[in-house]
Amino acid sequence: MTPQLDLRNVTKRFGGVAAVDGVTFSIAKGEILGVIGPNGAGKTTLLNCISGVYRLDGGDIRWHGVSIAGLAPYRVARLGVGRTFQIVKPFGSMTVRENVAVGALFGSDSERPPLRAAFDRADSVLELVGLRMKADLPVSALTIPDRKRLEVARAVATRPKLLLLDEVMAGLNNVEIDDALEMVRAVHETGVTVVLIEHVMRVIVGVCERVIVLDLGRTLADGQPDVVLRDERVIQAYLGERYARRLRGG
Amino acid sequence: MTTSQRWQRILIVLGCAVIAYAVLAPLTSLDGAQALNLPLLTDKLWFRLATITAMFVVMATAWNIIGGLTGYAAFGNVAFFGIGAYTTGMLIAKAKWPFLLALPLAPVAAAIFAVLVGLPLLRLRGHYFAVASLGVGVAVGELVQNLDYRGEPIFGGASGLFMPIFAVPNRDLYFFYLMLGAAGVSIAVTWAVIRSRFGYGLIAIRENEEAAAVIGVNTTAYKVAAFALAAALTGLAGGIFAQWNVFIDQENSFPIAYNVEMILMALLGGTGTVFGPAAGAVVLQLLIQFLSGSLPITLDLPFVPEDAMPVLAQVVLGVLLALVVIFAPRGVIDFFGGRSRLTIAYLRRSLRETSI
Ligand SMILES: Nc1ncnc2c1ncn2[C@@H]1O[C@H](COP(=O)(O)OP(=O)(O)OP(=O)(O)O)[C@@H](O)[C@H]1O
Ligand SMILES: [Mg+2]
Repeated sequence: MTPQLDLRNVTKRFGGVAAVDGVTFSIAKGEILGVIGPNGAGKTTLLNCISGVYRLDGGDIRWHGVSIAGLAPYRVARLGVGRTFQIVKPFGSMTVRENVAVGALFGSDSERPPLRAAFDRADSVLELVGLRMKADLPVSALTIPDRKRLEVARAVATRPKLLLLDEVMAGLNNVEIDDALEMVRAVHETGVTVVLIEHVMRVIVGVCERVIVLDLGRTLADGQPDVVLRDERVIQAYLGERYARRLRGG
Repeated sequence: MTTSQRWQRILIVLGCAVIAYAVLAPLTSLDGAQALNLPLLTDKLWFRLATITAMFVVMATAWNIIGGLTGYAAFGNVAFFGIGAYTTGMLIAKAKWPFLLALPLAPVAAAIFAVLVGLPLLRLRGHYFAVASLGVGVAVGELVQNLDYRGEPIFGGASGLFMPIFAVPNRDLYFFYLMLGAAGVSIAVTWAVIRSRFGYGLIAIRENEEAAAVIGVNTTAYKVAAFALAAALTGLAGGIFAQWNVFIDQENSFPIAYNVEMILMALLGGTGTVFGPAAGAVVLQLLIQFLSGSLPITLDLPFVPEDAMPVLAQVVLGVLLALVVIFAPRGVIDFFGGRSRLTIAYLRRSLRETSI
């Protein structure tokens, strides 16, 4: 069966430096995939390549077998690829509800709703991510965790088939992470494929069936979390000996 | 009822009264007005003032679509006004078309031009777009005046274009209502846009273009469409102006000052709102007319000699505009009637918004 998303030798350079360097992997429909790697490993760059924000310098990206390399971001979005930004980018002058409704108004090509239906959809997505009570607040009144929730909500509202989440849990405390995890699970259960870029190991172990480790733009490992996180190269490149010991112990 | 709601209601009632007066006053004769002791100006002056004001309502409202809703500070919209004027002017003066047949082509020509220059220009952001659009605005005016074909000016050159006077009974009234109609159309279009998918897409672009793109907004198409819509409305005003004024040249069809004035009007009234730019246009146009001594109202101030009044008034206008931009960046409607109340905190927040 053709995978939903298929990356072959994806390469992106800045100046002479390859931020993403020949990355190859594929994602099956309904999967929930973790992507980890140290700072500057190329995670965000990879996401920008998939969503069309960057043009590839090499390789190809296929969506259900059809190349989407070189498509403008809005076209990728219309195919059903939703994403968030590591540094959140809300529509500042709008309320929380309006932000999400705009996502619903546009997004994936399947049944773009009229205005009223978009606002209804916004309400149900806000319910899903736990922002229902704050729907009518301006974005400026939101806390950092809530802004991340809003970022996810707007992406979910676009009816994605594949959702790319860039460190939506960074900077959250343990309780907030549990909430966010619940939110990701809830979205995944609606049938959406999820790619989860994270630093927080607990998140990856807790929710992902499969994890990819990036380092210096290359794929270092790809497999089940418990296997990958015991991989010697991964431990050396990223996790550190202390973490490995703790993992073995607990 | 909160204070802000009360203010909003007062503003709406006041606005309706002013509009009703402006629309109906021309129907009363000068004699009738004097008999009723209404503060009507002499007929001719009234019509000229009212028509120009409506013309600026169109331009400020149209600018708001690209500048206010989409967030692209177009500084050369006067090009669309001029293109509209010259399209109508050329069709009437050279091709001998009747006015009402020539007029619909004014917005069409302006919109086509906006698409052509918009495609490259709207890739630029912020100041770069503002400066480039200003350049286009100036260049078009110069081209229109200076383009020759075999030694003959194509568009009338420096001596401009003359059109035959449009033969309707009560011409002043006719053109006033025509321009008022254009103003109404501009406001209605803005109202509809703000409530549509298109409008939400434009506002998303203004707030964060990259985020708009990844949720599926075709940003290039939306920006160009907004630019073309603004151009069409501005071109319509230009087309009406040409036949109303009977004579057009570079100076009256491409005045650089209009670029600044329409933006100030939109800022003053509130960018991104439906009625703000129109309100700003009325207030600022009346102020401009007052300053230039066109209104038969004079103020007697102690210590200020009469001939210093225009200078003083200019200074007052300048200071007022600076204050508005600094303290009420969201316009006077928001200032008095918006969600927030008029407090020190409001002023402080505004100051923060407009500062680097
Ligand atoms: N727009 C850009 N221009 C130049 N270099 C860039 C650009 N974006 C990223 N880089 C570089 O590419 C490399 C990968 O960056 P990227 O942001 O993809 O890493 P990341 O894995 O997301 O890191 P983090 O965990 O800090 O978010 C880094 O060395 C970064 O400096
Ligand atoms: Mg990153």
